[in-house]
Amino acid sequence: MDLGSLLTSTLTDTLEVSLPLFRVELALSATIVLVLLCRMLPVLRWLDSALVALGGVAFALWYAWSDLRGLPGSPWPAVVAATHPASQELFGGLLIFDSLTAYIRFLLAGFLVLYILFTKISGIPDREDGADFYTLVLGSSLGMCLMASANHLLMIFMAVEMASVPSYALAGMLKGRKASSEAALKYAVYGAGAAGVMLYGISLLAGVLGTCHLPSMAAELGRIVGDGADSFYVADSAGPIMVLTLGGLMMAVGLAFKLSAVPFHFWCPDVFEGAAAEVGAFLSVASKAAAVALAVRVAFGLGWLGDAADASAAGLADVRHFLVYLIGLMAAVTCTLGNLGAYGQTNMKRLLAYSTIAHAGYLLLGVAAAVAMLGVDPEGCRKAVTALAFYLGTYLFMNLGAFAIVAVLRNRLRSEEIAAYAGLVRSNPGMVVAAGAVLVSLVGLPPLAGFVSKFLIFSSLVEAITKGIERPLMLVLLVIGGLNTVISLFYYLRVLKVMTFDPPPEDRVAAPAPVWLPGALVTAVVVPVVLLGIFWSGLYAYAQLAGTFAS
Amino acid sequence: MQDIPSSTLLVLVPLLPLVGAILTVALGRTLGSRAHVPAIVGIAASAAVAVTLLFGMVRQVAVGNSAAQQGQQVQPVEMVTTLWEWADIPNAQAAGGTTAASFLIPVALRLDPLTATLLVIITCVGLLVAIYSIGYMHGDPGYPRFFALFSMFVFSMTMLVAASNFLLVYVFWEAVGACSYLLIGFWFTKPEAAKAAKKAFLVNRVGDFGLAVATFLLWMTYGTLNFHDTVLSDGTAVPGILGVTRLADASGYVGGAVGSAICLLLLLAACGKSAQLPLHVWLPDAMEGPTPASALIHAATMVTAGIYLIARSGPLFVACPGALTLVSIVGATTALIAALIGTVQNDLKRVLAYSTISQLGYMFASLGTGTLLGFSAAIFHLVTHAFFKALLFLGAGSVMHSMGGVIDMRRFGGLRRVMPVTAVTFLVGSLALAGVAPFAGFFSKDEILASLHSRGWPDTHGEHQEAVPAGGHAMTAGSFRLVSVTPDASRLAGGDRGSRLDALNQPATWRLLFWMSLVTAGLTAFYTFRAVFMTFTGPTRVPEQAGHHAHGAAGSAAHESPPVMTIPLVILAVASAVSGWWLFSTHGLATFLAATPSFTAPSIASTATPPVFHWDLAIQGTLAAAAGIVVAALGHLGKRSDGPQMERFLGPLETLFANRFYFDQIYAGLIVKPLEFVATLAALIDRYLIDGTVDLVARLPLALGGLVRHLQSGLVQRYALAGVIGMLLIVLALVARAMG
Repeated sequence: MDLGSLLTSTLTDTLEVSLPLFRVELALSATIVLVLLCRMLPVLRWLDSALVALGGVAFALWYAWSDLRGLPGSPWPAVVAATHPASQELFGGLLIFDSLTAYIRFLLAGFLVLYILFTKISGIPDREDGADFYTLVLGSSLGMCLMASANHLLMIFMAVEMASVPSYALAGMLKGRKASSEAALKYAVYGAGAAGVMLYGISLLAGVLGTCHLPSMAAELGRIVGDGADSFYVADSAGPIMVLTLGGLMMAVGLAFKLSAVPFHFWCPDVFEGAAAEVGAFLSVASKAAAVALAVRVAFGLGWLGDAADASAAGLADVRHFLVYLIGLMAAVTCTLGNLGAYGQTNMKRLLAYSTIAHAGYLLLGVAAAVAMLGVDPEGCRKAVTALAFYLGTYLFMNLGAFAIVAVLRNRLRSEEIAAYAGLVRSNPGMVVAAGAVLVSLVGLPPLAGFVSKFLIFSSLVEAITKGIERPLMLVLLVIGGLNTVISLFYYLRVLKVMTFDPPPEDRVAAPAPVWLPGALVTAVVVPVVLLGIFWSGLYAYAQLAGTFAS
Repeated sequence: MQDIPSSTLLVLVPLLPLVGAILTVALGRTLGSRAHVPAIVGIAASAAVAVTLLFGMVRQVAVGNSAAQQGQQVQPVEMVTTLWEWADIPNAQAAGGTTAASFLIPVALRLDPLTATLLVIITCVGLLVAIYSIGYMHGDPGYPRFFALFSMFVFSMTMLVAASNFLLVYVFWEAVGACSYLLIGFWFTKPEAAKAAKKAFLVNRVGDFGLAVATFLLWMTYGTLNFHDTVLSDGTAVPGILGVTRLADASGYVGGAVGSAICLLLLLAACGKSAQLPLHVWLPDAMEGPTPASALIHAATMVTAGIYLIARSGPLFVACPGALTLVSIVGATTALIAALIGTVQNDLKRVLAYSTISQLGYMFASLGTGTLLGFSAAIFHLVTHAFFKALLFLGAGSVMHSMGGVIDMRRFGGLRRVMPVTAVTFLVGSLALAGVAPFAGFFSKDEILASLHSRGWPDTHGEHQEAVPAGGHAMTAGSFRLVSVTPDASRLAGGDRGSRLDALNQPATWRLLFWMSLVTAGLTAFYTFRAVFMTFTGPTRVPEQAGHHAHGAAGSAAHESPPVMTIPLVILAVASAVSGWWLFSTHGLATFLAATPSFTAPSIASTATPPVFHWDLAIQGTLAAAAGIVVAALGHLGKRSDGPQMERFLGPLETLFANRFYFDQIYAGLIVKPLEFVATLAALIDRYLIDGTVDLVARLPLALGGLVRHLQSGLVQRYALAGVIGMLLIVLALVARAMG
């Protein structure tokens, strides 16, 4: 192949195949440039950077929506005939576009629209910091979009870093506050450590397998493990397997850090407490969605080769077995410790941080079920991924709602302590009703969205159990998930108890704060929490679409 | 009825009260003393729509019947409106994992003769009670709250009877329970009210648990929860549990252990909601709520939800004769025991409460016969009972209103001179309840007795049509046909435990039940007229609490209630007087109900009997009622209600009745006290073990390895160390698992 034709094929790949499916990321990048330009050029200084960001994000949302709708099998085929391929590698295999990519990008773009409105209304950042703040948020989101579509180890590392580094700065946005700076520093140090470990793991994997492209890695992995020793863990005759296991675990460290899974969750409470509630909302929703998508991608990419029934298939079954136990163990520990940690918290943001950790655990339960059924029971596996996708969709509203309420109440009460919410029902009944809906939904009680999500996750575990796939582990995970739901009831409802039953403090001086816009914002975010519990087939249909990505 | 207007109308029936409730909540404070307006307008509009639907349904059934004259087979009539699909999960597991069924839960409303009848009863009685409440609740600080809850209840109840799948039924089963709880505890500052609400809630929990488990079992057994036949998105038809496809299939229903388990759990649920033994204890205490709420919820409508559930699930029960017989046994026993307790109560509302339990028992007894006559008689009695019991409660409320909240019959008397309208309407209601011809209760009670009689003495009711459903085989006596157990069911059944229960189904049992019901009829007449005589005859006495209505000296203080309260009384009195005769003489209700899909199952439809007036039973029933009234008159007519009472001649029995057969004490000893012990234990465990663990876990990183203290202390290097240790532990766990 001469240089000319190589150049031509690269150009064709980039311009005709990749870039049209990369519009969301392009829109985000363009928005970042615009926001910065507005800050630099005196002519454009009058423009509010929030509005610029909102406009750009609206474009991204529109592209994400049309990408999702253009997929074959989209729930509304009557509107648009399938214009997109079901699965397409982009940029020479660095990224992959499929229904999971499209779904997560749509969630992220939709989240960003709501999020920018939220920050605009809640007043952090102020006009001065706006450009910095939105640049960082959009940059981080860009990394998250890439996390959801990464198909190559280098891309994975790039994407994780791209999503993380702006987050460190975001955590330190409240420059005057010591806690905020401390949180940012801790986050950065911890994140850097995790990134280093992950990069080391990646280099080990790449070194043994000779490639960084996930599907090629899976083929090689299956061959090595298939030929290897009888036992997967004991490396008497199989040095590579030892190295691969180590590499895999080190990579898991990086992912666990992004997911705030135990034992890499320590940053989460400190950062959430130190940073503004707005930043917490971003980290707990967007970051979580991208990290879950990436975890699914890596586990599926390494554990399955499509329907190709060759020698490597048997080896991959061992790999999956290993992955299921690793993920299941982390899931169980994460949701248990997250929930127990949330007890006795006095700061609402810190409580929500532990709640976020616990929910990461529930999501990992779903990932474990999906990986367990991967390749064995395609139908069940699809349903497990569907459950995850649905969970992320509802989780977006629940957690955004929770942080929005915290932010609005902070503006009004000048406090984020749970004790400060005492007797709030007398002065702000609407806000307490909204908080009730969100918190009860986070517990997972009907008829709210959180119930349906949890029901779907648990039913995938049940499905694996009834089909006898990894039965003992799945049974244990189901029991742990159920017990944790019960445990979580207490600390979520304690907040409601304080809000309704406790007498309001004598010295409360509610700051004069506008009522209508924050009220409208909270309503807009909380109403879907209720509606998605009653009308959930629409979102479920799209989640099902996302679930088809591996088939 | 397949046209669009009907389905829109059907949705309006629950929707309008819901809108009324929401408006009342939103505008309650603004409206103040006019807070009843949204609720009443909503319920009135809903009632108008329900009546329109009923007439449409009547026409539809008439057309169907005339078309079916040749075929001799009553055609099922139903209309299902699917609002949206709540859940649609393809290939969910069912039937023990052997077949893949779609978990399809549409939010679907249905209209059929049974539902149409109940919708009219709920909305019309609801409307009258709501109008009455304007007067009764006047000036209460919780005035808007009352009407919001009331509207919410009408919404929930109409949804309950219109829902077309078991999950939705469960949802609204809970919803009416919640409304009931909130209304019983309406005056929550009164400790008795709060306690009664709690009791109702907890006792109902037992029944609700039964419904939940029954729903699970239904899903496992039938692979769907829908009543109607549904078509999936991929075109496969799923026969609903009570859909026409399965109804026509003689082997469509599972008997044996699984079938019986489902039926017994449904019965448990019905016992909770309809206050039957052994879960009846909550209803008398529920009288702590405002009287209009007692009238509508705890007499006319909500407590009949159990009747509705069993009637709707009729084909399921008919496939399990043992469980079916148990329905009758529970019903007749409850009827008798509640009537006995009712004879010695001195609180007017409690007399009525026990009477409600007793009358509901009648309906259960009738349902348990499993014949078309039995089902339609139960619904017939439900309808007439809704009229006369609402009337009696509202009358009692009128007395209570006038007496300044006093309801103990010993403290007033001779009120017929003070409140003539209340006295006359109350008398009409009592005649209906006692089953005196030609008032409503006479006809419906007669049909119930007839249905029991036909099971006890099948030979004397030879007019039954003989039609053996294809594929099924007759298993028992008389006119009664049973569907055989399907092979699939017998696999699930794992033995004949279900049929051991079937041994109950003997003619002797039915004869006993018949005699019990007849005795109950006499007792009913006695306690009803005891209350009438104590309250309205004898020298006029009013308690001093009536003074707040005072115009002058005590004695002239009490007065008749305002027209807004007496007009509903009059309307209900007219309905109680004529509805029984009208519905019976035209035989309209029975023919109409026979077109309900559930009752067109061959196993039920084949038991249809021509309309006959059973003179022998009517005479027996009337004699029983007359005896009761005469005894009551001997004891109480014209005497001071606080004078010596004849009941004390009952001796130790009086103590037994007055203590309500010691049910509350037995429950306190057997259930409440042990549970309190467990609760105390749990509280201790919570305080020391759980909190201890939590405190431990809050510093759990410390426990990890026991090397480092206070890891979540904010020192990032310790976090890193904990991460490393944690990862090592995970590796260790994985390796240990691989080794071992």
